[in-house]
Amino acid sequence: MNMATLVGVLIVVLLPLSLWAFITESYHKRPGAKRRAGELLRAVLTAEQYGQLIQQGYLDIPSPSDPERVYRVPRSPGQVQVREKGHVTKWLCLQPFERVPDADLVVIHKLMIEADEQTYLQKANSITPIAVSLSNDPV
Amino acid sequence: MGMLRIISNRGDERLRWNEQDVLAGDAEALAAIREAERIFARERARGATAFRVEAGKPVERLEQFDAQVSQIVMVPRVVGG
Repeated sequence: MNMATLVGVLIVVLLPLSLWAFITESYHKRPGAKRRAGELLRAVLTAEQYGQLIQQGYLDIPSPSDPERVYRVPRSPGQVQVREKGHVTKWLCLQPFERVPDADLVVIHKLMIEADEQTYLQKANSITPIAVSLSNDPV
Repeated sequence: MGMLRIISNRGDERLRWNEQDVLAGDAEALAAIREAERIFARERARGATAFRVEAGKPVERLEQFDAQVSQIVMVPRVVGG
């Protein structure tokens, strides 16, 4: 393969990829989208919940069905921890079909957990930590 | 005032209506309600879930559009990650 062909191949492959990355990045970083998502987050969370999210980087949502269970939702995209008696018992992964601003992800988790916990648990993929899994195995 | 907020990749889109004007038969207010109902039905058909979010009240799922609710938030279809 000569140099001209190599450069041609690189342009054909890299140009669309760079364009796609630029579009996705600028789309996600739209100030209007982030601002509106931040406003919705403030409107949906209580002052206490908002404070926890900003200061600690996560939001603890008590389970409506189990007083010992708490869902720890991260401020940035990531897995949700299911905590019981202070210990992580599971990680949950759930995401919207379309990409949304980070603040909207927190809103989605909160609304679904508080209003429809069973559907939330059915839809989320769950991962059980090995230590928890082993401790629950019959001897 | 009532508000429908639809979460999307553009943040959330908002549609407002004035319930008092609707009751008074105001044409613009009636048109806003009809538009909110249409968008609600369209998003539900796409798999979105609607929630009633009002200050001081527990969040509830909403199966049908309700103009009496002060804030409805629609969440797009979700999948296990």
